Amino acid sequence: MLRHHPRVLGGLLLTAALILTVSGPASAVSPEDALMPIEKYTTTKGKSLASVHRTQLLEFSEQIYNCLPWLSVHPGGLGFPRERESRTDDRYLSTWIFVDQREDPVFAALPRERRVSAMFSRYGVDMLRRMAALPAIMHDHDVAGLSVVLSWLKPGTARPGAKAINETFALFIDKDTLLDFLAKRMSPDEFTSRARFTLFDGEDRVGRVPIEVWEDSFNSTYRAANYEPPKGAACP
Amino acid sequence: MRAWLSLASFLGGVVMLTSACATSEEWAEWRSHNTHFASGTHGMFSLRNNKDGSNPRVSRTDVEAARQETWWGKAITVSPEQIFQN
Repeated sequence: MLRHHPRVLGGLLLTAALILTVSGPASAVSPEDALMPIEKYTTTKGKSLASVHRTQLLEFSEQIYNCLPWLSVHPGGLGFPRERESRTDDRYLSTWIFVDQREDPVFAALPRERRVSAMFSRYGVDMLRRMAALPAIMHDHDVAGLSVVLSWLKPGTARPGAKAINETFALFIDKDTLLDFLAKRMSPDEFTSRARFTLFDGEDRVGRVPIEVWEDSFNSTYRAANYEPPKGAACP
Repeated sequence: MRAWLSLASFLGGVVMLTSACATSEEWAEWRSHNTHFASGTHGMFSLRNNKDGSNPRVSRTDVEAARQETWWGKAITVSPEQIFQN
C-alpha cells in the first residue's frame, strides 16, 4: 500500500475538496441553447417576438459564442422576458451573460459598488450596444426596451469547503434612453438615474446599489491570444 | 499610554484601508487597463501558452471544456424567476 506524507495527503485532500466544491458537469451552452424556448413564454406577444426575431437572436448568440469566448450566455438567457415586478406585458430584449471571472486580489479589494460599476462599464454597456445594433428588434414596437444581466464569481467564495457564489447585476432600460446614452446625448449619471437595476448576492437580493459608468472599450477591442474562431464565423 | 493606543488605532486603520479596499493606485491601474479582463485573471489564460514556448490554437470547444472544470456552472446564482417573468 502506498504511504503518503501527511502534508502530501493533506494537499491531495484539499485539491479534491476544491475540485468537488467549485467544479461540476456544467454543460456547454450552444448558441441555440442560449435562446429562451418559445414554449416558455406565457403571452402571445412574447411568443410572437421570439418567433419573429428568432433568426436574428440566433445570429447574435452565435456572435457571442464565436467571437467573445470569455463570456457565456446563461442557458435560455437570450430572449424577450418581462421585468419580474411588471404588471404589464412590456417585453425587453435581454441577454444574461456569465463573465468568466477568477479569484484576483485587486478585483477582490474593490468595494462591491466598484465591482458592479466595473463589470457593467466593461461588459454591460458593450452588450447593450451590440443589442441596440439589431435593427429589426429595435424598430419593433412590441419591444419596450433592453435588459442586460451580468453574473460573475463573488471574490473570496471559491474556496474548499464552501459553495462558490455569483454576484448578479440585472438592468432594464427603455430604448430611447439607451440610444441617447450610447450616442452620448445623455450623461452616464442621467442614464443610471433612469435605469432600473438590482444586484443579487448569490440568491439574495441586495437591491439598487450606487454605480458609476465610464468608457471601457475592452469587450469590443480585446482579441484573445491564440484563440481561433470557428471557420466562417464573422467577428467584427 | 493613551498616545500609544491612538497611534496603534491609526496604524490599524491605515492597514485596514489599504488591505480591505483597493488603494487609489490599484484602482487607477484597474480602470486604465484595457488589455486584460476585469481582474486580469481569467480561465482562458490557462489555455494560452505551453511551457515549451509553443502557442497552441484554442477553439471555442476548448474554452467550453475548460469551463466545465471551473466555478461558474456550480456557483450559487440567482434564479431567472427572481429577475424576470416569462
